[in-house]
Amino acid sequence: MIDPALIQSVIRILFAVVIVTAAYIISTRNLISLVSVYAVQSLTLVFMALALWSLEGVTVLLGIAVVTFVSKVLVIPYFIASIQERIRIRRDIEFHFLSPTTSLLLSMALILFIYIALANILEGTPARESLFFFGAVIGLSLMLMGMMVTFSRKRAITKVLGYLSMENGVLLFGMFVTELPFIIEFLIIIDLVILVILTTILTVGLDSTLEEYHQRLHRFHLVGDTEDGP
Amino acid sequence: MIAGLFIISLGIFVLGVLLPLAGTWQDRRIFRAGSHLCTIAGSILLGALSLFLFLTGNDIAWTAYQPVAGFSLSFVIDRLSAFFLLLISVVSICVALYAAEYNEHLEGGLRRNLLSGCTNLFILSMVLVVASANTFSFLVFWELMAGCSFLLVMYDYSRATTRKAGLFYFVMTHLSTLFVLLGIVLLFSSTGSFVLAPAGVSPVSAIAFVALLIGFSIKAGIIPFHKWLPYAHPASPTPISALMSSVMLKIAVYGLLRFLLDVFSPDVWWGILILIMGTTTAVLGIIYALKEYDIKAMLAYSSIENTGIIFMGIGLYVIFSSYQLFDLALISLLSALFHTLNHAIFKSLLFLTAGSVVHATHTRDIEQMGGLIHRMPYTAGLFFVGALAIAALPPLNGFASEVLLFISFFSSIAVADPLFKVLLFLCLGLFALTSALSAACFVKAFGSVFLALPRSPESGRAEEVPFLMLLGPALLASACIVLGLFAAQIFFIAGFTVPMPDMFLVGLLLLAMLVLTFAVLFFTASRDVRVTDTWGCGTLSQQPAMEYSGHGFSEPIDIIFSTVYRTKMKNERTFFDQKNCIFAEGKAEIRLIKVFEEYLYLPVARASYATAETVSRFQSGCLDTYLLYVFCAVIAVIVFLGWLA
Repeated sequence: MIDPALIQSVIRILFAVVIVTAAYIISTRNLISLVSVYAVQSLTLVFMALALWSLEGVTVLLGIAVVTFVSKVLVIPYFIASIQERIRIRRDIEFHFLSPTTSLLLSMALILFIYIALANILEGTPARESLFFFGAVIGLSLMLMGMMVTFSRKRAITKVLGYLSMENGVLLFGMFVTELPFIIEFLIIIDLVILVILTTILTVGLDSTLEEYHQRLHRFHLVGDTEDGP
Repeated sequence: MIAGLFIISLGIFVLGVLLPLAGTWQDRRIFRAGSHLCTIAGSILLGALSLFLFLTGNDIAWTAYQPVAGFSLSFVIDRLSAFFLLLISVVSICVALYAAEYNEHLEGGLRRNLLSGCTNLFILSMVLVVASANTFSFLVFWELMAGCSFLLVMYDYSRATTRKAGLFYFVMTHLSTLFVLLGIVLLFSSTGSFVLAPAGVSPVSAIAFVALLIGFSIKAGIIPFHKWLPYAHPASPTPISALMSSVMLKIAVYGLLRFLLDVFSPDVWWGILILIMGTTTAVLGIIYALKEYDIKAMLAYSSIENTGIIFMGIGLYVIFSSYQLFDLALISLLSALFHTLNHAIFKSLLFLTAGSVVHATHTRDIEQMGGLIHRMPYTAGLFFVGALAIAALPPLNGFASEVLLFISFFSSIAVADPLFKVLLFLCLGLFALTSALSAACFVKAFGSVFLALPRSPESGRAEEVPFLMLLGPALLASACIVLGLFAAQIFFIAGFTVPMPDMFLVGLLLLAMLVLTFAVLFFTASRDVRVTDTWGCGTLSQQPAMEYSGHGFSEPIDIIFSTVYRTKMKNERTFFDQKNCIFAEGKAEIRLIKVFEEYLYLPVARASYATAETVSRFQSGCLDTYLLYVFCAVIAVIVFLGWLA
């Protein structure tokens, strides 16, 4: 039997890892490493689910760990990595509203802000001092950081990774705060949606900004001209 | 059983809606006549049961539909509802009689079927608003009423002026609904229920009252929300103008009274606010009416004035109630209610007869009329009764209700606060001015339209209207006389003792004076007959251009109120040379400033447009921007939960 205090320490370390990966996703210009970092982030969540399982013994957490590992550590990163091999662009240097440095600074402020907000909400409750409070803070922060990636990057692939990171935040928040079966259902549906989006992008063109992608989609349907395809 | 009769009357109205719609593809009079017959039958039944409920004081309640708990279409008829239902019934019967003939002379072919059906739906919606037992039903049928009336205003949609009037009305009526909705939502947030029950005293209920007051004021045409009336009334077919002016405006009065009596615990400042709004509306309304030469627009402004008088009565009721002067409060409330009924009667009479005149002369400009008393004697007689009533001359009903309001004002000496006394006597002075100006306005209207010589060929060719177009107004004229002569007796039968003179005796006295004057003149006048032409300044015969016109009649009043009728002068000049020395041609124009339109409505419209343009920039079509909005929204939710909730 593993000591619960040790598991809690491990979970805290994993929180730090999640934050570091999120910060990397938000600031990096390198598309190749982006997918790997996303896989690492998802793997961290798998470890976190396992740690929680060993702490609480809820089997649903085990299910989450398995589903997350298969979908987010193996399938989706593999999918995206295989696409990246086909395209030539290796760097994402186009931004909207926020530059990487500003995003990073804003993220730090965001974590602090959410910490204070949740502390106010949970003031006087037992949850305030527990590990679940930090889970909620990190989960919400990860979600919002992912959202920042979706609107601050122009490349479609980076947006998709931002979205996936956001969804990791939802998973993290769900693991620590809300009912689990619903979250599992939710995750599966979202993952399926993402897979569909990825497949569409694979068909029409990944190495483009979203605006160009829309134009290509229109052209593709209207005249069947595939010369702009990947 | 009474509830059953009420449902049957509603059913008859529904039949009146469906019958002409079923025959939409056939331009046959029978469908429209059937529809009007349904209006008359439904109104008679509704009027009879309302009268019964009003006199006996019994209530009926009925829930028609309840989709979920708390939301229901429920109806209740108490004395107040019964009174307003009676008003709707009486006017609807007369208007339907008139419309059965008038609509046949309208252009529009099959559209006339829609007009008849929609008129029934309009009446039905007003009945259901008045009978609503909760705010949810009230709002649903209020909106139905707004929609129907808009469609009716737009009947002659091919004209640009009608489209403008319709659009104006659409915006204003929905602004009214918006404020009513806001008031109802605030009340719901305060009480947690849609029931029309006391809401207690709180800042929320005060805000709800202000919202509802604005909503009802827009619908009732209280200044500065009045501008839709002079546009919508002339643009609508005459029966619709009559219904809108004499009944729909009263539904707004009903709404205000219902909420004041059943829901709110009014403070004294509420009464002052209503009184000041009413007084301003009454005075400005009649001043603008004096300047109008479009007969229907003039009647619309006169409706604004009369709604102001009704609001004055309501304001006095609230003030006296706040000072615990319940007897005076009751007299004020009764004066407001009686004037509501009387205005509905004489204004529908005036609109219908004015519609007959417009139908005969093909113009609404009173300066193009004249001499119609010889060509349309019955219409002239009926209009004369309406004009006497609205000018508040004894012994007609207009005098009966205004004298009650005067008594309320004179009794305000009982209010202890000297400042209030000053305010009340100031309002009394303005009310007296309003009555005098109203008389002047209708002297001008009757004189210009019916007396002297025709001022246009169309007026010269005018003929008396058919029987049905006289029957409806004749019933209303009779009602004006009966309600005036027997006002004291009517109050007694209704169970109220009011300090007003017996109008029947006043009537007899006036008749005796008239007979005496005539007898004196008859017996003392010279019997020598001298036949000669009136001296016409050297011309061989009298010409229409030599007549005392409406403009001439109102000129002294125009000069007195020249500060109200603000004018704008515009000069346009062109020159042959660049240094503007040699004058080529020029145009000078002096026009009346539409004060509220130019200084209130248009700036608000422009500001709304500018805001809409600014807001439309948020919709950039860029996905990233939309995601940024979502991000900001999430942050706002966190801030709300963390610090404000």
